[in-house]
Amino acid sequence: WKGDSDATPNFRALGKLSPPVMRKIEPFGAQFLAYARRKRHGRTFSEDDRI
Amino acid sequence: MSDESNEVPATGSPEHYAIGIAFGNSYSSIAHISGEGKVEVIANEEGDRQIPSVLSYIEGEEYHGTQAKAQLVRNSKNTVAYFRDFIGKDYKSIDPTPCHASAHPIEVDGQICFSIRDTDSETENKVSVQEITARHLRRLKNSASDFVGKPVTAAVVAIPTDTSDEQKAALTKAAASIELEILQFMPEPIAALLAYDSRVPDSGADKNVLVADFGGHRSDVAVIASRGGMYSILATAHDYELGGAQLDQILIDHFAKEFEKKNKTDPRKNERSLAKLRLEAEAVKKALSQSTSATFSVESLADGVDFRSTINRSRYEILALKTFGRFTRLVEEVIKKADLDVLDIDEIILSGGASHTPKIAKNIEAIFPESTRVLAPATVTTALSPSELSARGAALQASLIQEFDKEDIDQSTHEMVTVTPHLTAAVGYQVSDQPADSFKVLIPAETALPARRSKVIDGLEGDVLIRICEGEREIKVTQSETMPKTNGTKDGDEDAEDDDDSDVDEDDEPEEIREKIWKPKQALAEFVFKGLPKKSKVEIMVNVDADSSVSFTARHVGGKGGVRGEIKAAEVAQNGSA
Repeated sequence: WKGDSDATPNFRALGKLSPPVMRKIEPFGAQFLAYARRKRHGRTFSEDDRI
Repeated sequence: MSDESNEVPATGSPEHYAIGIAFGNSYSSIAHISGEGKVEVIANEEGDRQIPSVLSYIEGEEYHGTQAKAQLVRNSKNTVAYFRDFIGKDYKSIDPTPCHASAHPIEVDGQICFSIRDTDSETENKVSVQEITARHLRRLKNSASDFVGKPVTAAVVAIPTDTSDEQKAALTKAAASIELEILQFMPEPIAALLAYDSRVPDSGADKNVLVADFGGHRSDVAVIASRGGMYSILATAHDYELGGAQLDQILIDHFAKEFEKKNKTDPRKNERSLAKLRLEAEAVKKALSQSTSATFSVESLADGVDFRSTINRSRYEILALKTFGRFTRLVEEVIKKADLDVLDIDEIILSGGASHTPKIAKNIEAIFPESTRVLAPATVTTALSPSELSARGAALQASLIQEFDKEDIDQSTHEMVTVTPHLTAAVGYQVSDQPADSFKVLIPAETALPARRSKVIDGLEGDVLIRICEGEREIKVTQSETMPKTNGTKDGDEDAEDDDDSDVDEDDEPEEIREKIWKPKQALAEFVFKGLPKKSKVEIMVNVDADSSVSFTARHVGGKGGVRGEIKAAEVAQNGSA
């Protein structure tokens, strides 16, 4: 067993994710509002956590 | 309306007070968040929490709710009921059947109207359904304002999933005419789900929920993927001829026949008698949901003869057997539409008035595995009242967004925000030293991206390989001992109920044991941990981005350092549908 490279000796990438489908999220509930805020401000989860 | 919202709020008092409104064909209800932060369904002046969506006029005076509903007997021509589904619709596309016993919808200049005497004068006025809706909403708004002690200015309104944009626009217009701003329209199944989810502190669990809304004149079911507290509707199904009214009809027929046997007249042939039968049948049906027997009694039912009779629940359940079956079939239909199996459903929420019926809940519970929770009064003691769910959910949403500007709400609900990629396959992991096909789900399919999940795997030792892969759910069917019979098809079940003799044979039908198993499909990445001490824990975290690139982290809990890695994005397919 060999890693991807010397920099990541313990990790190996094997494949890609199956193509996702586009669906609509229902715009309701506190979690959605948090998601909408992230999306509109272009933030990631961790950036949002820090705020 | 825009003038309204641009006004500077008076100092001190909040600009908005928003409530939740469930507006149904048969009943409406209103709810708000009380001072203690609890959802409270508001009773109107008559003490009703389920307010009949009925308006009636006598000599220019307007009656609403239960009082108006009582007028269906003596004043049916000036009583308007079952109009919600007519709003914003073309006259040709509506089904006026439920209005048979009240004011009929007529077409005036392409608009749906009711011809009623709503003023002092003897002449009939043609009142548009839009105006009727506005009057109904005004009564609801006033009841809510009186209850909370401040003017209600805004609302979130729960509506069926198949409501068109024209209908929403017409509703918005009707509400605007009485100075009620509709902040958002909320699909009824989402409202019901939110009403339950808000009760548990950690509602972010990933689950597939089926919401069955069994109403008065229609029934709607939906399958919702709930992922991290966000909801995506996977499929919906509707039956516009199934609901509590069909159950009422069974009781009407039953008691009418009994009356006819004694008195030689059929009370269904006389309009007023039929109206009395209908009201009492509904009351008896409701009583049978609460107790095991109920009394049916109508004064002067027909030809001046009083009628009194009783019925017990089991008799009613036999009479309604076929209709109950239709509710169950609608549930099965929506699961099929979502391309799922009963085993994929984690939770079922029964909503709507007809969901109080114990047998309907029991029948639905019977088609699902024991692990599936059926939330109805008959199956779970802590269940919320099915009649209140939509209003509760709408009230919760109203309280969340009432501080926002209209522009903010519009931007957040725009398709740019709401239409997002969802995972098509579940992402999970396998650990070495375990059976080759063992696969544990980390992020289920239909999860909206971006998504992040982490999990601590314990009990590891020595050199361990963790493989992250996509998995596929399969239904494994095993037959139990008994030999299968040729006629052991599903249709046999229905025959058995009519024909007692065949029962014995049907019982021999081999029982199928169906279980859900996961098969690893496509490998994504692998990690290696070397020389872990006994009983080690490894935390893995998978973060799938909106462009479907994936990043991984794994670390030995208590150890130092970790493993990181990522895979780049794949191409996005544009073939989704909700």
